[in-house]
Amino acid sequence: MEIIRMEDVSVSVNDGLQDKLIFSGLDLSVSKGEKILIKGRSGIGKTTVFRLILGFTRPSSGRIYFQGKPADSELFWEIRKRATHISQDSDIGEGPVMTLFEEVFSYSANHGKFDHDALDTLLAEFSLEREVLNKKFENLSGGEKQRISIIISLMTKKDIFLLDEITSDLDAALKTNVVDYFMANPEWTVLAISHDPEWEREGVRIIDFEKIISNRKSGKKVD
Amino acid sequence: MVLCFILLLIPIAVSYYFKLQLIGPTLESAFRMAIQLALVGIFLTFVFDLNSTIINIVWVMVMVIVASHNVLKNAELKIQSLIAPLITSFALTNMGMLLYFNSFIIDLANVFDARYFIPIGGMVLGNSLRANIVGINDFCDQIQRNENRYLSKLSLGAEKHEALMPYMRKSLRNALKPTIANMATIGIVFLPGMMTGQILGGSSPLTAIEYQIAIMVAIYVTTVINVLMALIILMYRGFDEYGMFRKNMLKS
Repeated sequence: MEIIRMEDVSVSVNDGLQDKLIFSGLDLSVSKGEKILIKGRSGIGKTTVFRLILGFTRPSSGRIYFQGKPADSELFWEIRKRATHISQDSDIGEGPVMTLFEEVFSYSANHGKFDHDALDTLLAEFSLEREVLNKKFENLSGGEKQRISIIISLMTKKDIFLLDEITSDLDAALKTNVVDYFMANPEWTVLAISHDPEWEREGVRIIDFEKIISNRKSGKKVD
Repeated sequence: MVLCFILLLIPIAVSYYFKLQLIGPTLESAFRMAIQLALVGIFLTFVFDLNSTIINIVWVMVMVIVASHNVLKNAELKIQSLIAPLITSFALTNMGMLLYFNSFIIDLANVFDARYFIPIGGMVLGNSLRANIVGINDFCDQIQRNENRYLSKLSLGAEKHEALMPYMRKSLRNALKPTIANMATIGIVFLPGMMTGQILGGSSPLTAIEYQIAIMVAIYVTTVINVLMALIILMYRGFDEYGMFRKNMLKS
């Protein structure tokens, strides 16, 4: 079943002086349960695709559909309850990690989802000690922050994962662990942006980002 | 009064000696202050003599409009973006507090009596201005500096108000801290203007203190409600239907 479709999407940002084209003519279709790796040069707008899916960036033209319905503001709030974006510099707040967990699970969408056993299992799975929960998030290393962000997202029981270079700060064994984890669940739809070869495995659709965008309309070169 | 103005020779001499280039601004400000206060004095004498409920309410409303305009101007926000809800909120809060204060605390027969309604309205409103500017500035600044954090919370399932709660809490604290500190030092570090005025006017220090305590509580309570309302307005009007901060609301 098709879960996300983008048709001829263009994105421009205003840098305060003029509109700057990020990309145009993006076509993308994602099926439920699919595992996709998006590859491409830095700075060509791969992360913008995730922002489009979550409604954080609005397309300047083109259409976005979620489960066949045109995505409007109401639908984007629904998508955010099912999809989560984890990035390489995930910033989920300040203060003790446990307090941040409590905050996230106090959201009405996450009520009743907190599970102590699942937390213990995930901490072990991603090689973190329980003491990390008492440390301040802002004092953690890049790798620890990434793993805490992954764990918190997994515990909110989402089924669409938008993973933006989440393995960049991890050692080789952990990279494999994380990729294994996201590949294992057939129900999860996973879109990953990464330069790590660990993601290139059987069953993963590899998309060269430059091939799914074009400049049909503007005729300009994508930068 | 002439002897009072002669004192200004001291700052003028300091400015001259240290080449501060403040002689012009000092003279201009002192002149403006004198003219403005003289005009207000004449106007208030007229308003007090007339003591019309309608004129008193209109005058307090003028103060509310000027205050709201001042808050948005100093918070670097485009005036038209929030002015209408801010005026409504300030008017309701300040009028409500004035009516409560005049009816129940000082037990006036006419709660709109110009002699109380206008000066107390001015004190309550004027003293909550700074807190409002700090609160709004702090909130806009946090959202812009920590945009990724806000978006992370949205993508972890937060509704807009849930994701904004930590920012709101921090801005409220930062806005209210100076007023709280002010309450704690009052009487020891400085004697407030209203109390000093009353004592100079012949009231006993105990009566002056009674009024001062009541007015400080009224100022604090109004400040809390005003800042809270301003932040709630910002939460609703400052974000689009997708939950994104309206950056075009900022001046630059």
